[in-house]
Amino acid sequence: MVQKHFTIKNAQGFHMRPATNFATAMAAYPCAVTIKFNGRDVNAKSPMFIMAACIKVGSEIDVVCDGEGENEALAAAAALIESGFGE
Amino acid sequence: MFKGTPVSEGIGIGKILLLEEAKLEYTPHAVADPAAEAERFRAAIEELTRETRRDAASLRETAGEKEALIMEGHISLINDPALKGETENLIMGGQCAEAAYESMCDMFIGIFSSMEDEMMRQRAADVRDIKDGLLRILLGVKEVKISDAPKGTVILTRELTPSVTAGIKKGNIVGIITETGGKTSHSAILARALEIPAVLSVPNAASVFKNGQPVIVDGTTGIVIPDPSFDELNEYTEKRAAFIKEKEELGRFRGLRTVGADGREYELVCNIGKPDDANKVIEFDGEGVGLFRTEFLFMDRSSVPTEEEQFAAYQKAALILKGKPLIIRTLDIGGDKEIPYMGLEKEENPFMGFRAIRYCLKNRELFRKQLRAMIRASAFGDIRIMFPLITCAEELREGRAMVEDIKKELTILGIPFKKDIKVGIMVETAAAAMLADVLAKEADFFSIGTNDLTGYTMSCDRGNSNVAYLYSALQPAVLRMIERTIRCGREAGIPVGMCGEAAGNEKLIPLLMSFGLTEFSVSAPSVLRVRKCISKWTKAHADEVAAKAMSMTTEQEVSAYLATVI
Repeated sequence: MVQKHFTIKNAQGFHMRPATNFATAMAAYPCAVTIKFNGRDVNAKSPMFIMAACIKVGSEIDVVCDGEGENEALAAAAALIESGFGE
Repeated sequence: MFKGTPVSEGIGIGKILLLEEAKLEYTPHAVADPAAEAERFRAAIEELTRETRRDAASLRETAGEKEALIMEGHISLINDPALKGETENLIMGGQCAEAAYESMCDMFIGIFSSMEDEMMRQRAADVRDIKDGLLRILLGVKEVKISDAPKGTVILTRELTPSVTAGIKKGNIVGIITETGGKTSHSAILARALEIPAVLSVPNAASVFKNGQPVIVDGTTGIVIPDPSFDELNEYTEKRAAFIKEKEELGRFRGLRTVGADGREYELVCNIGKPDDANKVIEFDGEGVGLFRTEFLFMDRSSVPTEEEQFAAYQKAALILKGKPLIIRTLDIGGDKEIPYMGLEKEENPFMGFRAIRYCLKNRELFRKQLRAMIRASAFGDIRIMFPLITCAEELREGRAMVEDIKKELTILGIPFKKDIKVGIMVETAAAAMLADVLAKEADFFSIGTNDLTGYTMSCDRGNSNVAYLYSALQPAVLRMIERTIRCGREAGIPVGMCGEAAGNEKLIPLLMSFGLTEFSVSAPSVLRVRKCISKWTKAHADEVAAKAMSMTTEQEVSAYLATVI
């Protein structure tokens, strides 16, 4: 299991497009990917659950990848979040 | 006559086509073979995905890429692994596919509807749309198609969904009326993208209007006229022609720089009141923000917003503007703007009283929080600080000293900010205008607030109908104040902008260009109109007009003269 902490930097937070892009990217990896936010575990392969978590600019989250390809998945997650989802 | 929310400008004249929603009724029942039911569900998901993909392709042609992306977003939601998985779990537990999917979707609709962010609330409409789509397929109900609607059709529906919109043929649909939806709903966004006049939130429209009824839709004012008279038809046909002509002309100015006829460049920015308004600045092609009023942050609540709350708001606007200038005005309360928890006493003469910078300098802790939030947010964009209601140099010095203290503190703490953050002032009092030569040496920029400057200079309250006739920025006394302010700024080498209503006044624009104004800050929807106005004038021509106008004695003469030259 690997884990990393992030602060969300893009203005709109996890709204429709970032959530969708993120979930689609994560779905490509066989491992389980979870976003820990506000004491909750959010399925990071589900755009619906990501949006429902209401993660905004300035929110502190942890991304946890567990299983096959976990290192690659975490690296991809970090690249997406740190680029502000290309906003 | 009916009135709704105007969301897409223009005038449509045609006949109503009522789009009745298909009834999606079923009786929830236990299923004997859950595996087969799950298979039926998966097949429906596949069919909906295919349909949505088709709709996305057709929207890409009629409305454009951005709108097609909304439908592509639907495809990801339809195929959300968790939504599908949980639905299948419910089905395997014995529920029918309709009930299982509906309960999962309703859960998300509930979550999204209760969110503060309007954009997220909009997701509830997306989920409702895909839920209806899937139920329609499961129940075998035929989809309403509007692609066969004849020329001159005005669509009337409860809500304009992307899937309905995908069928719209641009040339045939001349207007849209809905019962629900506001300015930022999908219905509104789609109507604007298709450039079809639209009025939303017309109460009970679907039950009041009839199929085939003649109707006028005015998407600029929100007026809907069923069974128009001969005169009304004539009036609106003319209005429509004028609108189309004006729009074509203004459209040519989109994406261009703001330049006079001699190629001199000006800055054309916008006034905003909320961080989200920054999106409008981008939408209407503004070049930045010349005035971000911060009062909204303090209103409709019971205590002072924290530094973090303010920081988030300023940062949000800065991020949306992506490096474009963002002038934030510090709190401007008092006068006619009251905030109950601030404990302002009732004053005999609030406009001359304890307000704006005067209040802030006496309430240091509150002011410090706001300045600190702004300076921290400056790490994320070109933020500039502006003090309102300055009347003497001490006020500016005190404010600047606080800014410097905060910068030192942030440096020690290692918190990033824009090192050379500019600090300027509103010139909106007669005192500041008279003292402009002195203030220009200590401020990084000026922004003329013509609303207050006119009121203070003419000593008149525009809300008092007995004296309102005096209230005009074209009064020779006000013009002298403006001219002096701009000249002093120019001589000191600092930029001078204007963020009052007068900045968008066609009559005043040549005078402002002649005086040497460098920045015009107007409401977002005025951007293209003002850019066009500016493009008509060379500096030399504006100088001639200004010299003549400034030689005149009365407001009436000035106004009448300027009307002949524009």
